[in-house]
Amino acid sequence: MSTCLRKLSVLLLLLLALTGCEERSQRVSRSQLLMGTLVDIVVVAPSSVAEPAIDAAFAEMHRIENLMSPHVEQSDVWRLSHQPGPVTVSAETAEVLRRGQIVASESGGAFDMTLGRLKQLWGVESATPRVPSDEEIRTALQGIGPDALRLEGHTVYKRRPELQVDLGGIAKGYAIDRAVAVLRQSGVRHASVNAGGDLRLIGDRGDRPWRIGIQHPRQSGELLATLDLEDIAVVTSGDYERFFERDGVRYHHLFDPQTGRPARGCQSVTVVTDEAMQADALATAVFVLGPQRGMEFLRQNRAEGILVTASGEVLVTPGLQSRVHWP
Amino acid sequence: MTSSVADPPTLPQARRKVFLALFTALAIALHTFEFLLPSPTPWFRLGMANILTLVALFLFDGRAAWTLALTRIGVGSLVLGQLLSPGFFLSLAGGVTATALMTLFHRLFPRRLGPIGISTLGAFGHALGQMTLAWWLLVRHPGIWNLFPYLLLAALLTGVLNGLAADLLLGMLRRHRAFAEERAGAELN
Amino acid sequence: MKQFWARMLPGDRVVVLSLLLVAVGLILLQLGRAPGRTVVAEVDGKVVFTAPLASDRQVSLPGPLGTTELQIAQGQARIIASPCPNKVCIRMGAVSDRGELLACVPNRLLVRIEGGDDHEESSYDLLSR
Repeated sequence: MSTCLRKLSVLLLLLLALTGCEERSQRVSRSQLLMGTLVDIVVVAPSSVAEPAIDAAFAEMHRIENLMSPHVEQSDVWRLSHQPGPVTVSAETAEVLRRGQIVASESGGAFDMTLGRLKQLWGVESATPRVPSDEEIRTALQGIGPDALRLEGHTVYKRRPELQVDLGGIAKGYAIDRAVAVLRQSGVRHASVNAGGDLRLIGDRGDRPWRIGIQHPRQSGELLATLDLEDIAVVTSGDYERFFERDGVRYHHLFDPQTGRPARGCQSVTVVTDEAMQADALATAVFVLGPQRGMEFLRQNRAEGILVTASGEVLVTPGLQSRVHWP
Repeated sequence: MTSSVADPPTLPQARRKVFLALFTALAIALHTFEFLLPSPTPWFRLGMANILTLVALFLFDGRAAWTLALTRIGVGSLVLGQLLSPGFFLSLAGGVTATALMTLFHRLFPRRLGPIGISTLGAFGHALGQMTLAWWLLVRHPGIWNLFPYLLLAALLTGVLNGLAADLLLGMLRRHRAFAEERAGAELN
Repeated sequence: MKQFWARMLPGDRVVVLSLLLVAVGLILLQLGRAPGRTVVAEVDGKVVFTAPLASDRQVSLPGPLGTTELQIAQGQARIIASPCPNKVCIRMGAVSDRGELLACVPNRLLVRIEGGDDHEESSYDLLSR
């Protein structure tokens, strides 16, 4: 071959080698049914990075589900509910309980992790929901409250042996945070984890911030608003997600620990803050606290949010207003 | 088998019974044999057993055809171990619709429709019957009917082929001494 | 071929031609169908999953026999893995037009393509509810 041709072929081979080495980022999306809901993970990265990262994230969420599910026998939460005496739990469960306790006491008991018996009584998500009597509610509420659980190291002491622990208002958030941590460890810089409406973002979408739609609490299929966000968690609690109707009255799954009945102050609460676990607990607390005390509680916790009152009025925290788009 | 003029009228009946039984056995054999053949989809079959149903229809009458068809489906499914399975009900639905259409049109147009036409109608009926049952009991969504035109084309092909086979078979049978009465009957028509 | 035609009575020819016309007609009608927009998956008749056809993703759909993997890519949906014995669902290939179906009968799974339901995918990436 002449020197000219040889040089050209070397150049060509070099170019080919380079283009082969550089992998293009793509938007990889996968979904799994987990924790009773559909979990979507979207990662913007080369496929060789995204696929194993998503595998690892789902595996981690499965692990948390097994650890904190009330239905998995011998899980930490199961043992907390079925054993009368003190229960030693894993470090993770202890940490989640500790963080939950803080929100419980600061919210004056609006967030409560000991409502297991009350939830079973109503059975809102079961096949046979019912409206319990005042007497039954009184019994189910015995012993609950922010002081019902005492944590010493990894051991949990229950004020009353019949108390049943329910981490429903915080465990999903924790699982999302763990999934995000695993994704970050795998080198992912742009991603979203959405577990049935409770979500957390890593970075932005790559080309622009993530656009988060908020479900309208009364008009299904319509949006209340959209938010442009990145690197943050968003959790919404609403009275429209899980409920049953009896004699024309709707009973939803967000209970007021003081009355033992569904809280009636808000239609929906969306909390925007760093961690999903915190957003999860705050959303429940704010929903129960109602508009005035709820918005104040958000401010105290330096979290942002949108609250729709029972009458349909929409309240937005000051820090979020610049990022909200109304339809 | 010998026959004589002095034979009582029960001989044709006896002959009919015997041959019908033979045809039914053949139909069952074909039905089960077909199952072993590879096919693009589990429910698509050549329907070769229908050749015998056609023969019974043209050689004898509608009642013979029904007897053969129903026995073939029942015993065939038993042999295949499919009795009362969804596959059995699909076969039954297809078979019943097919036989109903075939006997009906044979009754209406005995001179204008031969084995090929009747067989094609039967194949169409089979496809229709199976499709309707599948929609009703298995896949309750109208989207399933998108498959129907392709099923029809397949039915057309197998219908014509089976009809041709039946036509040839009928020709050979009618020429045989054993079917002298039937032949006479056909010629009188 | 000529053998076929010769053995057919005039009535037979009418039947065969009519059936041919009907089948071809129905197929032509189908080709004019609009492309689909949304993928809807049902297990035991209950909707478990919906997604736009336009966004690539992979879903694990659990049924009584196990998990069936559904892949949505390049505007088409196809089943890529399933616990059933005959794998008929996988051989069904890809679907993308409105009304098209994929089904894994042993695993009680039905996947269909629907037309409308404008989610206006451009207005948001994720929904919080």
